[in-house]
Amino acid sequence: MRLYIKSLLLIVLTIITACEDVIDVNVPEAEPRLVIEASLDWQKGTAGNNQTIKLSTSTPYFNTTVNNTVTGASVKVTNDATNAEYIFVDQNDGTYNITDFVPVLNDSYTLEVIYNSETYKAKETLMPVSEIKRVTQSLEGAFDDEVLDVTIFWDDPVDEENYYFINFYEEGDLFPFLEEVSDEFTNGNEMDEFFEKERDEDDGQEEFNPGDKVSFTLYGISERYYNYLQILIEQYDSGGDPFSSVAAEIKGNCINETTPDNYAFGYFRASEVDTINYTFQ
Amino acid sequence: MKNILLGICLLFSTLLIAQNSYSIRGTVKDSENGETLFGATVFLKGTTNGAVTNEYGFFSLTAKEATYTVVISYLGYKEISKEVLLNKDTVINFEIEELSESLDEIVITAEETERISIKKPQMSVSKLNASTIKQIPAVLGEVDVIKSIQLLPGVTNNGEGSAGFNVRGGAVDQNLVLLDEAIIYNTSHFFGFFSVFNNDAIKNVKLYKGDIPAKFGGRVSSVLDVHQKDGNSKKFALTGGVGLISSRLTAEAPLFKDKGSFLVAGRSSYAHLLMKGIKELKDDKLSFYDLNLKTNYKINENNRVYLSGYFGRDIFNISKIIENSYGNASGNLRWNHVFNDKLFSNLSLIYSKYDYQIVLNFIELDWIADIKNYNLKYDFGYYVNDKLKLDFGASGILYNLNPGEVKPTSNDSPINYLKLEQKRAFESGLYISAEHQLTDKLTAQYGLRYSRFNRLGGQNMTNYVNNQPVVYNSELGIYEEGEELGEAFFEKNESIKTFDNFEPRLGLSYQLNTSSSIKASYTKSSQYLHLLSNTSSVTPLDVWTPSGKYIKPQLSNQYALGYYKNFKNKAYSMELETYFKTVDNRIDYIDGSNLIGTNTIETEILNGEARAYGLEFLLRKNTGKFTGWFAYTLSKSEQRTLGGNAGGLGINDGNWYNTAHDRTHDFSITGAYKLNEKWNLSANLVYQTGRPVTYPNGQYEYEGLSIASYSDRNESRLPAYHRLDFSATYNPTKNKDRRWQGEWVFGVYNAYARKNAASITFTQNNDTGQNEASRLSIFGIIPSITYNFKF
Repeated sequence: MRLYIKSLLLIVLTIITACEDVIDVNVPEAEPRLVIEASLDWQKGTAGNNQTIKLSTSTPYFNTTVNNTVTGASVKVTNDATNAEYIFVDQNDGTYNITDFVPVLNDSYTLEVIYNSETYKAKETLMPVSEIKRVTQSLEGAFDDEVLDVTIFWDDPVDEENYYFINFYEEGDLFPFLEEVSDEFTNGNEMDEFFEKERDEDDGQEEFNPGDKVSFTLYGISERYYNYLQILIEQYDSGGDPFSSVAAEIKGNCINETTPDNYAFGYFRASEVDTINYTFQ
Repeated sequence: MKNILLGICLLFSTLLIAQNSYSIRGTVKDSENGETLFGATVFLKGTTNGAVTNEYGFFSLTAKEATYTVVISYLGYKEISKEVLLNKDTVINFEIEELSESLDEIVITAEETERISIKKPQMSVSKLNASTIKQIPAVLGEVDVIKSIQLLPGVTNNGEGSAGFNVRGGAVDQNLVLLDEAIIYNTSHFFGFFSVFNNDAIKNVKLYKGDIPAKFGGRVSSVLDVHQKDGNSKKFALTGGVGLISSRLTAEAPLFKDKGSFLVAGRSSYAHLLMKGIKELKDDKLSFYDLNLKTNYKINENNRVYLSGYFGRDIFNISKIIENSYGNASGNLRWNHVFNDKLFSNLSLIYSKYDYQIVLNFIELDWIADIKNYNLKYDFGYYVNDKLKLDFGASGILYNLNPGEVKPTSNDSPINYLKLEQKRAFESGLYISAEHQLTDKLTAQYGLRYSRFNRLGGQNMTNYVNNQPVVYNSELGIYEEGEELGEAFFEKNESIKTFDNFEPRLGLSYQLNTSSSIKASYTKSSQYLHLLSNTSSVTPLDVWTPSGKYIKPQLSNQYALGYYKNFKNKAYSMELETYFKTVDNRIDYIDGSNLIGTNTIETEILNGEARAYGLEFLLRKNTGKFTGWFAYTLSKSEQRTLGGNAGGLGINDGNWYNTAHDRTHDFSITGAYKLNEKWNLSANLVYQTGRPVTYPNGQYEYEGLSIASYSDRNESRLPAYHRLDFSATYNPTKNKDRRWQGEWVFGVYNAYARKNAASITFTQNNDTGQNEASRLSIFGIIPSITYNFKF
């Protein structure tokens, strides 16, 4: 909702002779922080035994060349109900792997990362998700009636508040589109989410054409992770434009128990996931 | 409190005894069109006795029996004088002639009249007449009240394409904007590019930046008091213009055998007509229009009624995807009654409304929000004697707020119907204020306003565990929604919460000599309505919310001190003012707050405080071939938002941070030059320190994207804003003695094509993967041409 209204305002701005150009800006520089990308994603129809956690550090905003992977940390996940411990193995490239993780829906897990003799901890519940029922493509839907759009559908359970995360990716693109969705206005209904691309000379984007391959991944997520993603995605998309809420530090759920102020960026999530691939006709 | 009131009454009663005195009262009007003049000076030559006309052109003064020369003067008008034998109470109506048509006839205003304006205790006020506003170069030739006042010291806004204005470091919602006494909730067309005031329908504009008279209440920063013209009472007149963006037409004429007059003014943009012709844009619509109406009828010498109205709307439709419209509507029925030679009164019944609608066809959603109010007020002016004038009155405002209603637009829409809690409130006020000449040199204006705000029932209120709508999560270091503890329904006749405030207003002026004075003032004011806006620019869909159980009224204290001087026979005037202002209970939003479609605003905000201080300098040249001003402001505006009841240190760790309206330096030069009978030239130059913004201080990879980490709120600044504009007005000579008078206005906005940053956004380039900073600048160099006419 907010996003749509914001885009309306931006459209109006651009209609009225606005001009956008890339400039050099001096930005402040903060001390690096640990970044924990701990995403336990359990793909429907798999055992979910293979999991990877990524560790890195933050860098100055315009920096492009720094090697910021984190090695030598110890990474462990515990099932809070069974006390089963899962040790992740350092691959020496910033990733930590495990091949015998046992996911259980609605169970609570605790992540523990020890790095530079500081202990980081996070807790999350493994959230279930409905399956993607179908994918459709059309011309008429979405914003522009002359270009192809694609929509996925799934059912929202009635009796609870549900939160979703969608990762949409077109083969050949540099980046995925991320979207967070709640059932606030649509509880218990058939949910849908559409994607459409517009041609943009500046960044080489093209509209969808027959033969284009795309994938959708739908995640069931917790309310707190939804709140986290909402800020993260809004700030990523808007980059601080005047119609989005004032940009702020995004704090995840990884707490530094040794030095609380030295908290980590990133998030420990645990989600059931459904993925569907689609080729435009 | 009682003692103060008693004291004031005693003081007045001793002053009421005067012997062999008679009053002179009447109105002052423009001889050309019969418009009453607000702020004209009526003066008895050779004495210090004088009066200033009120907003209805009325004056009254009292003097001992004698023969006097009554002098009437008003800036930009020919001064007139008249012999009057005062041996009984006398009614005289004056008509004075405007100077602008024949510049050679400029009469230097007399020394005596000068003393009065210097003497008046009212400070921190700026007045602009419609004719002055018209001279200022405007973007695309659209003459604009709101943009004009930003050239005055202490007034800024967030740059092009942002709505409203900021006074002395205050927020947009802290300004009380009145159009013929009706509250205007949103002053912008086209999301802030133009204002809702059609200059052709406006007589004058008064902006109180501080020292707010006791008759105004409800906002803590300023009052923008806009008066519409009454309509020409001498002859039928048409004025209008054709510009690049909009066209205007105003008709005015006398009514009922000169007992009344009316004015109807319309303005409409026409970009949408051109868009119809372009294939790609034929489904788009981008337009605004407004309609002003005013009529008055003089029943007899002591009674006059006025009816004024405004209706304006903006419409944006984008390819049938988004349909969006918003606008203000207002009406005011007034009755001026003169009880006797000393007591003037006005009773007003006012309605105003602002509503906003957006239809998003692609998700089949229809969203409506509005705010309405009904206002009854009764104001009195009591001209006790030549030393004392009293203003007193009462008002009551009933508010109905609909913060949002969501409807599905079709049966198979995925959207469920939702109506947010409807809110109601009643705000009442009582005031008394005196303008009192204590000694020859010392004049005081002192008053008291009592305001009461009653948040009425008829809605559910959410309760929270430990009465905490927001809770600090110390583990994660973030503010989160509190845990709900059910809802309580308040009946319509129940009160959810009431607030009372006494607001003293005090002003003093001390005359140093005939041409200079010092003034000091103190104003306390309270504000019960708040505009919810967590973005750096105010947008039309921001929702107003009343104070209540969780949101406290904003309370401000402002202290100001000033020095004023007229020189070169009043051709120049200089004002130097300094102010210090504090605002309690200024809300700010927790990181990542979401205000849209929520009943529980209280879970997204923290109560904080704000403070602002500054120095303002204004040098004005009032008469001659060259007129204009230089304004400079040095100021600071900060806020602090502690965790309070929610726990934690607060926003920015509880430290003071810049508000988005903080501008260290702000200066402007505005000038108009009459080259000859045919050509008028004008120009303005503005410079402002960049707006405080929040910049990234690092990046990290998450989900394959480069995510920015951000520094403390408003820690960085956009580059400085500056701009130069020109305009030239051409009056063809054949105009002389012709009924139809035309003029051409040629303008250049942003003459040296400065790319002023409206915003700088930080994004990752989809092609290269690099992070980059993009500057959005709204207006390049913009030429314009406008044709205006009078008939």
